[in-house]
Amino acid sequence: MRRYWLTLLPLGLGLVLAALWQAGLWPNPILYLRVDVGTLLLLLGFLGSLVWVLSLALWTTAGRRGGEEAQSCFRREQADAHRRFIRRLDHEIKNPLTAIRAGLANLTDQGDSAILSSVRAQVDRLARLSADLRKLADLDTQPVEREPVDLSLLLTELVELAQERPEAAVRHLRLTLPQAPWPLPSVAGDRDLLFLALHNLVDNALKFSRPQDTIEIRAFEDGPAVVVEVADTGPGVSEDELPHLGEELYRGNMTRDVEGSGLGLALVQAIVARHQGTMVIRSRRGQGTVVSLRLPVAR
Amino acid sequence: MGEKERPWRILLVDDEEAITSHLAPFLERAGFSVTVAADGEVALRLVEDVAPDLIVLDVLMPRLDGRETLRRLRQAGDWTPVILLTQVGTPAERAMALEEGADDYLNKPFEPYELVARIRAVLRRVQRGGQSLAGARRLCSGSLELDRQARRVILDGCEIPLTTRALTLLEYLMLHPDEVLSRERLLDAVWGWDYPAATRAVDTRIAELRRALDDSAEDPQLIETVIGEGYRFIGRVEVRE
Repeated sequence: MRRYWLTLLPLGLGLVLAALWQAGLWPNPILYLRVDVGTLLLLLGFLGSLVWVLSLALWTTAGRRGGEEAQSCFRREQADAHRRFIRRLDHEIKNPLTAIRAGLANLTDQGDSAILSSVRAQVDRLARLSADLRKLADLDTQPVEREPVDLSLLLTELVELAQERPEAAVRHLRLTLPQAPWPLPSVAGDRDLLFLALHNLVDNALKFSRPQDTIEIRAFEDGPAVVVEVADTGPGVSEDELPHLGEELYRGNMTRDVEGSGLGLALVQAIVARHQGTMVIRSRRGQGTVVSLRLPVAR
Repeated sequence: MGEKERPWRILLVDDEEAITSHLAPFLERAGFSVTVAADGEVALRLVEDVAPDLIVLDVLMPRLDGRETLRRLRQAGDWTPVILLTQVGTPAERAMALEEGADDYLNKPFEPYELVARIRAVLRRVQRGGQSLAGARRLCSGSLELDRQARRVILDGCEIPLTTRALTLLEYLMLHPDEVLSRERLLDAVWGWDYPAATRAVDTRIAELRRALDDSAEDPQLIETVIGEGYRFIGRVEVRE
């Protein structure tokens, strides 16, 4: 609310008009108003209420907006701190991991054993995790290409790839793309990153559903955006788990037995955010899950 | 490898003793003669005494960091091949590594076998061509010219439009001629992320490059597909000033 001066507008107008009339350009007759006290009090009361209501309305919108600003500022700061923390953690983990790998390479040179290869596998896992966390944190600052991306083409390729997987053979995988009245418009973005994001969604749908479940992938135009939905009839997620799905390393109660890094959806969210898009997840326990991505149409 | 009587001399520069104490013996066993330096200042002093064939240089070090060490080395006209050990691995850092004249870079935590493979590849390249490609402003192969500073690609005298990523990919391929580069390595080097799902992205960009450069997959003159392994730049790469 930086427009307090607007309240002075009526006064200014009055001043100008008064000056014009006083200057004698027009006849300036004297008006005598007669009013009884009752009506005068009623009018004054009405005026007072009006002023009060208006100022109250003004105050609350100003307050709310200020609050929102402060909150989003706070959230941004928190996200920055979080990212800095991940970078530092990653940095501190990298050197010991490099040393362990070099040490292991020396050991395996002297004859391989089951124990050594198991330790190696765990070190690889740690290295992978640190790299993935790092890349996730870097996604916010990394340059993103802006070229028109045909999502129809990309989704077709993605589904072809998914059909080759053994899980897909026992599930009903469907892709629906609009043809009439016109095909899907392009979105502006980084084709490779968008592919990765959508791949993760389809991958999740395949991983977390059961045989004979249906997976629908659909895309449609909605005003200035393209909406891509990946829906499944899988086990679904409970309401209290829903807000945490996009968090790093979050694993749902029911998915502890499914292999994964716990970074898939966080990555999707980060990629979508870099494209000025949004991600919404709706889910019902026992019925399934649908993830919708909204991506702005390329101009 | 070349018929040299003496083993290749490697100068290993890293402030982390835990790393050098494991890595040095590993490299020794791989057939190299290794000298260790704990920071950039020591490294610059040792370069004259040891005359290494290659320097493995950590980027983040106290006193004189790897980047500054590399810069001073190149400013002094020393073109000893350098492999940088990068920490961050952001595209900016990778671009910096190549700009400052590093011959290759490897992200920590790397596999020691991968380091040995990279060392051998760089040494082979240097031994064969003599000239280091790392510091070149313009790389040429036949009628193809890549201006690294202006970020332009010229084919038969005409500039061809390429996406930034395709150009960076071509640059990386041309900087590593005759080397088989796996999709994972290309992803890591050019895209900055190497999620297994994304290897398709490499194929898409290679196809874009081939279209733009008028090169075919069946009878390649520039970029060859090595089935089951990756891609290789088979054109002869020369430096043009």
